[in-house]
Amino acid sequence: MQIREYILRRLMILPLIVVGTSIIVFTLSRVGGNPIAIYLEHEMTPAEVAEIEERYGLNDPLPVQYLAWAGGVLTGDMGWSAVSAQPVTEALLDRVGATLELATFAAIVAITMGVGLGTFGGARRDRLPDHLTRVFSISGASMPIFWFAILLLILFWVNLGWVSIGRSDPIIFATIAHPTGLYTIDALLAGSPSAFLDALRYMALPAITLGFGATAIIARMMRSSLVEELNEDYVDAARAKGLPERLVLRRHARRNALIPTVTVIGLGFGFLLQGTVVVEIIFRWPGLGRWMADAVLRGDQATIMAYVLFTSILFLAVNLIVDVMYAYLDRRVVLGA
Amino acid sequence: MVELSAPSRLPLPTHGPLAVRARRFAEVARQVLRNPTTVAGLVIIVALLAMAFLAPLLTTPNAPDPYQMPRDWTMRDVPPGTPGHPLGTTSTGGDVFYGVLWGARTSLQLSVIVVSITVTVGIIVGSLAGFIGGKLDEILMRLVDVFLAIPELIFALAIAAVLGPSFSNIIFALAVVFWVKYARIIRGQIIHIKQNDYVDAARVTGDSRFSIYRKDVLPNSITPVMVQATMDMGGIVLTAATLSFIGLAEAGLAEWGVLVSDGQAGISAGRWWASTFPGLMVFLWALAFNLVGDGLRDVLDPRTEGR
Repeated sequence: MQIREYILRRLMILPLIVVGTSIIVFTLSRVGGNPIAIYLEHEMTPAEVAEIEERYGLNDPLPVQYLAWAGGVLTGDMGWSAVSAQPVTEALLDRVGATLELATFAAIVAITMGVGLGTFGGARRDRLPDHLTRVFSISGASMPIFWFAILLLILFWVNLGWVSIGRSDPIIFATIAHPTGLYTIDALLAGSPSAFLDALRYMALPAITLGFGATAIIARMMRSSLVEELNEDYVDAARAKGLPERLVLRRHARRNALIPTVTVIGLGFGFLLQGTVVVEIIFRWPGLGRWMADAVLRGDQATIMAYVLFTSILFLAVNLIVDVMYAYLDRRVVLGA
Repeated sequence: MVELSAPSRLPLPTHGPLAVRARRFAEVARQVLRNPTTVAGLVIIVALLAMAFLAPLLTTPNAPDPYQMPRDWTMRDVPPGTPGHPLGTTSTGGDVFYGVLWGARTSLQLSVIVVSITVTVGIIVGSLAGFIGGKLDEILMRLVDVFLAIPELIFALAIAAVLGPSFSNIIFALAVVFWVKYARIIRGQIIHIKQNDYVDAARVTGDSRFSIYRKDVLPNSITPVMVQATMDMGGIVLTAATLSFIGLAEAGLAEWGVLVSDGQAGISAGRWWASTFPGLMVFLWALAFNLVGDGLRDVLDPRTEGR
């Protein structure tokens, strides 16, 4: 199958999967009973309750309700988010920057450390550094993020006092404008080094916590594909022509080993996305994850539906991009399998 | 003559399929035990299981429900080492030692229940898709795609949220989310195995489709499922603890995630123990099963042989 055809096929299936996901999300929101509870107050009369039910179309048959919701999603109207007391779309846009900034920094941590560690272990196969890397990788995949975050807080916040909880210092925050909502970018735009450093200082611990698990996934894949590459003939050829081992590793083996490692970026991204929920709760990070956690605890269906649908579509998109990238990078891949 | 057992890289004499399987099992066990990290994992698992089984002997079970933390309101926030409370207490007077031990029991039940359900459902769906194939395969795999489109934890979180906070709902949510991987694995294996000569041979000799599936296809497809199931024994406890940390289990349950959450508020006042010990248990539990699963995969999966 040609790459073009493969991409087209994937793009054609994508809407089906998105619709399927939206049906699951909608079904979920109705399994738990009438989603009206969060909109009610104690003093309301039965007539007022009926009026709310009517307003939100809760008396219609379920397929009609689904279409109404799906139509709303397509036009940017996802209902009212009771936990943040504003329309869902607005609440989503307010918070998405914080989460994306956090996830981006965590991804930088994970990719740098993962590729570095994987190379370190793979190049020293079956020796002590390799075994240590392996134990480290498996530990990362087994680490409860909520616990790791608390341990880091006990050390760096309670005992050493190096970091604070939240997203920025309120005084420094007020000194610059925030057009993008990404605090590091805003600081750069305003040309304020102190705001930039402040953003980084608040970012450090959550990003490391979140990136740790994904580091493990990437390190593991990087190691095994490097071991495989180092067994290839071209590596022997490079060595035979007298290239120093360091350059054999850097110029030849590592570059090729990065190709299969691309495939786990999708997996790693899923890991980061779901990790944001817990990390944002613990570090009081004002992003989508904490919004979802609030919604979960208060039964705010509109918010839960929007969050699950949004993260799934993001996850699908990243995986599609990763697959296409991989198909381009490695022509040996069997397409359509 | 065609091979009747798993194509093995070990030259085994064939004295009937059972003897072959027993020998293969012994060989796998020998290879697995040669890896120090796998042995470490096994030792931790044995220790954790011992804690789970001995919990009623090492502590006085709380009446009427031993899975609820006992409260001692006169001994709140005491540090580890206090007589009667070797690991300290929480801000509501819950004994951390009790929670750690009974949490092992909770985790064992949880992981065994969820793994049995998900493996069974996954094998049934994956077998239908892979063995029967055609339209059914197409439909089932699109369903699997949809389930895989939602990140695991977020899916489980949403399910548990709509059903309301309780530990049994967490179990249900995990069962709904985790079967998909098995379906996918078993389908891939079956499609691969079906192309082998010994399956054709069985068909020629007139075996029924179901008997070919049961005797030749399924036993040879099951290995990667075992590796995944071992790792999921850990992953499920990790995910469940995350959900209960967020607040989806009953308050006061003797479960590690609940305890970490209880202890979180006290850390700024220097009370580190109520979160640290139960969290360490979750980590050890997941680590042990991942180490063993990883070791099993090295031995059982020829693609990673010798790595």
